Amino acid sequence: METRARLLLLSLVASMLPGCALLHGKKADAPVQQAATVADPAQEEPTDKPPRVIEPEVARRQIKVAKIDAKNVELGSFYGSMSIEDFGSNATWGFTAAYHVTEDFFFQGGYGRTTAGKTSYETLGGNVQLLTPSERRFTYYNLSLGYNLFPGEVYIGRKLAMNSALYAIGGIGSTKFAGDDKFTVNFGAGYRLLPTDWLAIHIDVQDHVFQSDLLGSDKLVNNLSAGIGLTVFF
Amino acid sequence: MARSTTTTSLIRTPPRISALPALVLLLFATLTGGSLHAAEAGSRLQQLFVAEPYLELYEGPGRGYAVTQVVPRGESIDVLYRRTEWFLVRTRRGIEGWAKEAEMRKTVLADGSTFNFDLGNLAGFTSHDWELGVGTGYYGGATLISSHLAYSFNEQLSIELTGSQFLGNVSNGYAAELGLAHVYRPDWRVSPLLTLGTGAIWITPKSTTVAAPDRNDQTAYVGVGLRGYVTRRFFLRGEYRHHLVFTSRDSNEEISEWKLELAFFF
Repeated sequence: METRARLLLLSLVASMLPGCALLHGKKADAPVQQAATVADPAQEEPTDKPPRVIEPEVARRQIKVAKIDAKNVELGSFYGSMSIEDFGSNATWGFTAAYHVTEDFFFQGGYGRTTAGKTSYETLGGNVQLLTPSERRFTYYNLSLGYNLFPGEVYIGRKLAMNSALYAIGGIGSTKFAGDDKFTVNFGAGYRLLPTDWLAIHIDVQDHVFQSDLLGSDKLVNNLSAGIGLTVFF
Repeated sequence: MARSTTTTSLIRTPPRISALPALVLLLFATLTGGSLHAAEAGSRLQQLFVAEPYLELYEGPGRGYAVTQVVPRGESIDVLYRRTEWFLVRTRRGIEGWAKEAEMRKTVLADGSTFNFDLGNLAGFTSHDWELGVGTGYYGGATLISSHLAYSFNEQLSIELTGSQFLGNVSNGYAAELGLAHVYRPDWRVSPLLTLGTGAIWITPKSTTVAAPDRNDQTAYVGVGLRGYVTRRFFLRGEYRHHLVFTSRDSNEEISEWKLELAFFF
C-alpha cells in the first residue's frame, strides 16, 4: 500500500517537472541558449565549414537635407511725382516691402510722402494760406494685393534678356494730410523688370482715393502717383 | 583739376528730398548685392538627382517662360533657392534654370529617398508655421485697417501680433496687440478659432471736435472667428473681438471689433 502511494506521488512529481520548467519560461531558457551561442564558434572550428571572414556591416548613409532659401521678399525704395487734387504736383518718395505668395500674387506694403503745393485760390488770392506748412505734408501707407497680369521677357540687343511682368495692384491704407487721417483706397498698375534674379526695377502708377471735405464740399479726391523704384529680392 | 572743382561747385546741389532715396537705393544695391553672393558661395547647396525621364528648366519662375534646358534622368542638380512655386537650380554643367515645384517633388536625394518640402495646399495650410493677413472692418464704429502676423507653436496654437489703425468721425488711432489664437480643428477647410490677448491703444481726437488730449491705454481682448482655406497659400479669416480698454477714468471702455482679412501662410 505504502509503495503504491510512493509510486503515485513520484509519478505525479515527475509529470509536474516539465510544467515547472515551462512556468519559468524564457528566463530559464536564455542562459542555456547564450551558452550554446558562445560555445558555437569553438565547436564549429574543427568542422569543415569555412570560417566567416567578412562581417557585413550595413550602415545606411545619412543624407542631411540642406535648408533651401526662399527668396520671396522684395524690399525697395521709389521716387516719383504725385499729383494731389487741388494742390498741384510734387516729388514723392518712399519704401515698399512685398512678399510673393505665388507666381501670380504678391502682397505689398508701401509708405510714401510728398508735400502739397498751393491751390489756385491761394495762388490768386495773394496772402491766403489754407494750410500750415506741417499740414501740407502728405504721408500715406497702403497694404495691397498685386497680380502679375503679363509675365514676360524683354530683349535688349542680341545678348541681353530680362524677365519682366506687368502687374495690377490694389489695396487699402491711410493718408495723413491737412491734420487728418483718411481711409484711402489705392489701385493701379506697374511694370517690373529684373536685370538679375535678385534685383528689380519698377515703374508704377497708382491712384490714391479718399473722401475729403477740405475745400468745403465733401468729395472723393483722386491723387495720382507715378514713380520709378529699385527693389531687391531676399 | 582746378577747373573741374569750379565746375562742380557751379552745379546746383540737388534738393534734399531726392538725395535720401537715391542714397537708400545705392546702399540697398551695394549691401544686399554683396551679401547675396557671399551667402550663395558660403552655404552648402542641396544636391538632388533627376528620377523621372527628364527635368525641364525654364527661363523664369513662371509657367509662361520657355523651357531652355532639360536635365536627363540620373543627373544631379544643385538647388540655389526657391521663389514661390519655383526652384532655381544649377546643373552639373553649370547651367542655371527654374524648375517647377511639381517636378521637383519627383527628384530624389543621394540615398534614393524623395525630396520633400512644404507645399501650398490644404495639408500645408493645416500645419503651417507663419501667417500674415491684411484686412478691413469696423472698430467701435470707425473704419478699421488691420494686419496680423502669427507664428504657430503647433497646428492648433499660435501667437499673433496685430497692428491696426482705425479712422472714425470723432477720433482716429492705432492699436497694437499680442495674443494667442487657438484653432479648433486645423485639418478642416473651415474651422472656428478663439483668440485672447492684450495690447495698447493710442487715440487721437479729431481736430474739429472739442480739444481733448491724446490718450493711450492698455487693452485686453477676447475674440471668436472663422478661418477658411481658399486656394494655394491663401485663406480668409473673419473675427469678432471684444476689447476692454483700461482707461484712467472711473469706468473702463468696451469696444467691439469686426474684421475680415485675406491672409497667406508660409
